Formats: sequence, structure tokens, C-alpha cells
Amino acid sequence: MAATPSAPGKTEMIDLTKLNPEQLMQIKQELEQEMTKIQDSLSTLHGCKAKYAGSKEALETFQSNWENRQILVPLTSSMYVPGRVKDLNNFVIDIGTGYYIEKDLDGSKDYFKRRVDYVQEQIEKIEIWILQKTRFLNSVIGVLELKQAAAAKMLQAQQQSQPAATQSS
Amino acid sequence: MDKNSAALYKKMQTEVESYQNLQKSCVKMVKQRAMLESQLNENKCVLDELNLLGPDNKVYKLFGPVLVKQELEDSRQNVGKRIEYISKELKSSSDTLENMEKDMLKHREAVGKYQQQWQVAAAMK
Repeated sequence: MAATPSAPGKTEMIDLTKLNPEQLMQIKQELEQEMTKIQDSLSTLHGCKAKYAGSKEALETFQSNWENRQILVPLTSSMYVPGRVKDLNNFVIDIGTGYYIEKDLDGSKDYFKRRVDYVQEQIEKIEIWILQKTRFLNSVIGVLELKQAAAAKMLQAQQQSQPAATQSS
Repeated sequence: MDKNSAALYKKMQTEVESYQNLQKSCVKMVKQRAMLESQLNENKCVLDELNLLGPDNKVYKLFGPVLVKQELEDSRQNVGKRIEYISKELKSSSDTLENMEKDMLKHREAVGKYQQQWQVAAAMK
């Protein structure tokens, strides 16, 4: 049996070489499905992070001498009405589930910073997970290929020696 | 003999059907649980945020298109209650899911048994 695992030895490796190709294929497919799902949620998380970071950046541009400054308030994405900044130190933030809180400039910045950090933390967790899954998937593929090669060789050898031989799996 | 195997086949078919039905509701349940989990997470985040607020921070709740001012303490309690409720729902849905899986296993075993009997009956013909 020529099945020395190419990936770093894990407890799963011992089982892998004992599984038959059908089972390995199934594992591979399941892993691949899982990976697509994880990738999806990862990109969602990146989107969330960008949104929070964008809000924070908008707050960073606010300056203390902006009192009474004229701004254009968007009514839709393509229509604006003129307005004036009346209160520089109060922002209302959507914190989820329909709750909104009022915070001053520093508090709001702090809120978005914490959110960005939180999302970043989740992203890192998922990335580690993806790495592990990829490694596992690669070792499954490696063993599968070895098995298939071995099976093909055996079939060839059988066909050459005695055409009517019964196949031993 | 033919009658017998036909009856067996019918039994098997009903088992397969109930198995498939269970599988469908199982998928639904899993989706529901994922939704509950995300709601629970969101509510926890909100509660964390509310707990960080001082008495001079104002809290609003969105009702339709309007923001209505809320008392901080009330909001905390409301979100806390909601977390409790969602946790309960989550637990019950996990329990149902577990039971469903057990039932599915039973049906699968029954299908296997009938299949065997049917094959035996067919072979004896």
C-alpha cells in the first residue's frame, strides 16, 4: 500500500487511508460544500466590516468648527436638500434589532471601532477554520488520488496477467 | 406469495415516504435554528451595547418609520426578555431536531428490514 499522507499527520489521517474511494469522494464533496458556505459568510463579514469602517471614517471627517456649516442632506441617493449642522456632538446609531442610541462624537467613534474589531476577530476565527478545512480537504484529495492510481494499476496488472481474473477490491 | 410481497412493498413505500417527509421538515428546522441563532447573537450585541451606556445616553426604538424614545432600563429589560425567549425557542428547536433524527433513523431501519424481507420473498418465488 503506497499511502503515506502528504499533509502533516493528524488523527484523521489514520482513518483516511482505510476508507474506500466512494467514502472519500463523499467526504470531499461535503467538505467542498462546507467550504463554499464558509467563504460566503466570510465575504459577508468583510462587507459588514467595510460598512462599519465607512461609518467610522465619516465620523473622522467631522471637525469641531463645523457648527452651522451648510450640508446637503440626501433624501434619496440622487436628491438632496440643503441643511445646516446644528448639533456636532450627537449621533444616533443603529445598534440592531430596531434599537438606536444617541452618543457623542467620541462615543460613536469608539462604538464603530469596537464593531470593526469585533468583526475582525470573527473574520480571523473563520480564516483559521478555513485553513484547517483546506488542509483536510487536500489530504482527502491526496489519499483519493493515491487510491485511484493504485486501483488503476491493479486493474491493469490483472488484465495483463489473466484476462478472466476475478477482481479483488 | 405475490400478495405478500406486494404488501411488503407497500409497507416499505410508506416508510420511505415518512422518512422523506421527516427529512424535509428536518431541513426546515435547521434553517429555523440558524435564524434563531443569528437573532440571539444580534440581541446579545444590543444588550452588550445597552449595558455600556450611561444615564445621559438616549435610547430610541424603531416602530415602523419613527424612532420612539425609550427608557434605558426598560430597553435593557426588553432585550433581556427577548434573549431569554429566543434561548428557549432555540432549545426547543434543538430538542425537536434531535427527536426527528431519532425518528429518521427508525424509519431508515424499518425500510432496510422490509427491503430484506422483500428480497427474501422475491428469491423464494
